[in-house]
Amino acid sequence: MFEGRELMVFYENMIALNNVTLKCDHSQIVGVFGSNSAGKSTLMYMLSGIILDIKKKEDMRGGERISTFGRIFFNGTDITNLKPHQRAKVGIILCPERRRIFPESDVLENLKIGAYLSTKKERKENIEYVLNLFPRLKDHLKRQGGFLSGGEQQMLAIGRALMANPQVLLLDEPLLGLSPAYQDIVIKGAKEIRDTKGIRIIITEQYARPVMPIIDYGYILENGSSVLSGTREELLDNPDVKSAYFGV
Amino acid sequence: MEMMRRERIDRGIKVRTEGIYAISSIREVLYLLGPRLILIVGMISLPFILELAPYWKRVVNIMCVYSLIALSFDFLANYVGLVCLGGAFFVGIGGYIAAIFNVYLSFPIYVSIPLATICGAIFCTLMLLPCLPLRGVYFAIVTLMYPLFFTRVIEALNILGGTNGITGLSSFPNQYVEEYTIIIVTLLFLFGMRRFVTQDIGLVLRGVKDNDQAVRASGISIAYMKSLAVFIASVMGCFAGAYIAHLYMWSGISLFALDFSIIPIASVVIGGGGTLVGAIIGSVILVPLSEILRAFGTFRIVIYCIILTLVIVFKSEGLMIYLQRKYHQFERWVKV
Repeated sequence: MFEGRELMVFYENMIALNNVTLKCDHSQIVGVFGSNSAGKSTLMYMLSGIILDIKKKEDMRGGERISTFGRIFFNGTDITNLKPHQRAKVGIILCPERRRIFPESDVLENLKIGAYLSTKKERKENIEYVLNLFPRLKDHLKRQGGFLSGGEQQMLAIGRALMANPQVLLLDEPLLGLSPAYQDIVIKGAKEIRDTKGIRIIITEQYARPVMPIIDYGYILENGSSVLSGTREELLDNPDVKSAYFGV
Repeated sequence: MEMMRRERIDRGIKVRTEGIYAISSIREVLYLLGPRLILIVGMISLPFILELAPYWKRVVNIMCVYSLIALSFDFLANYVGLVCLGGAFFVGIGGYIAAIFNVYLSFPIYVSIPLATICGAIFCTLMLLPCLPLRGVYFAIVTLMYPLFFTRVIEALNILGGTNGITGLSSFPNQYVEEYTIIIVTLLFLFGMRRFVTQDIGLVLRGVKDNDQAVRASGISIAYMKSLAVFIASVMGCFAGAYIAHLYMWSGISLFALDFSIIPIASVVIGGGGTLVGAIIGSVILVPLSEILRAFGTFRIVIYCIILTLVIVFKSEGLMIYLQRKYHQFERWVKV
């Protein structure tokens, strides 16, 4: 069980995340939906621990004060105070928004950097797994990351996250700027990762339509608070969700 | 569980003084003018305070020279995004041009300093022009290399006095002119730059720092904007150089010394980058400090380094940013 309990984040005096509780069980895909400024990215930073890093940098620069509250549990242990790299070791891997691949390394090198935490044998298996998952990457193994198309970069980013043997995979807006065809490939990929490896996946998205079919449980965020949550069926039946996300 | 959060909010007086209420009471006016007046009056009265210590008056002059160079570094680094590692380049060029005008062409001092400032700035801008359209480390490297380049050229070709430098520059008519020239020019540049960076052109320059492609896409030439910024920065640097040459009545290759590049950067770090005043405050602390530490001989560099490291580790935001926050805002604990 991966669980964030009563998470709260303040950027200076502005509340970005208000009392959000989120759970993700083994081999579940959890979707988090919300518009811009709903707090999706903050939630991801909070879960992956990047917020601690941002906080420290802001502090050193004399910028905004970031205050965080709430606790995060993973398999019963409290990981709230673990730094981002320690959380990655535990198995919580973030695939960041806007991909953030290493633009000057080629595809294979990007994957190898992601595999820093795994053994040589695992690395080999994982590279194979990723290339089977996203066959398009096979054609560009030696191309620099920065010269890939947006969709390929997204696949590479997910692949890189997979190289670290995640137990919880956090996908922050994986469909950002992707064409419907690529959205389909990424979403199918996410489902396959869950089905074959049993990895818990938490996806944040603005568009519920492409993601909704694969999730087991979903949360709707609005202005930092979780206004609605439920299984896929419950969400699909909800009239508010229907009108807001499906235009019905 | 009771959760508490430390909240930072603007002081009421700060909010009031941002609007028309700024002139509503003496307290608001003082709140606005106080810090500025302390700086201005403090700087101007320094020569009087130090009347009995002529040595320290010299230190004040040098301090202002470093303030100017620090100001130009802060402006270039935090408002244009150009990291200039070569304050010494500006100082050296300004100093040598002033010496040429004054000694070889025998212009009087009140012509040679302004003329050296302008000509030096044009020369520096032209020399730096090739690396301006580029983004990245090029500018830093080139500015770092130029002082070394000119030192060696002067040494090797034995021009402009060679290793002895050009001697016999005319001195300032009297001590007060000497003191107040640099103090007033420093203050003028400080407040001028503070005004400048909030003008339209200053905003564009900040845009260049954040994202030069977006600025290009808005139909603005990056190279032109950057060369303008470099010109302004080198005006400050060249003035400092011309002044220092006349102060010492000598212009030599030590004007290209690394000190003029490094100490201003350290001042900006201590004072707080991006505030402009921080550059001055940093020099006001660092330059006298290094004079005091002179008693320790070569060991002073060690102490100097320790102080710098401590500041960076414990107050990396810089003094001025910290003080501004304390002045404008207060903190309290609130329940979440």
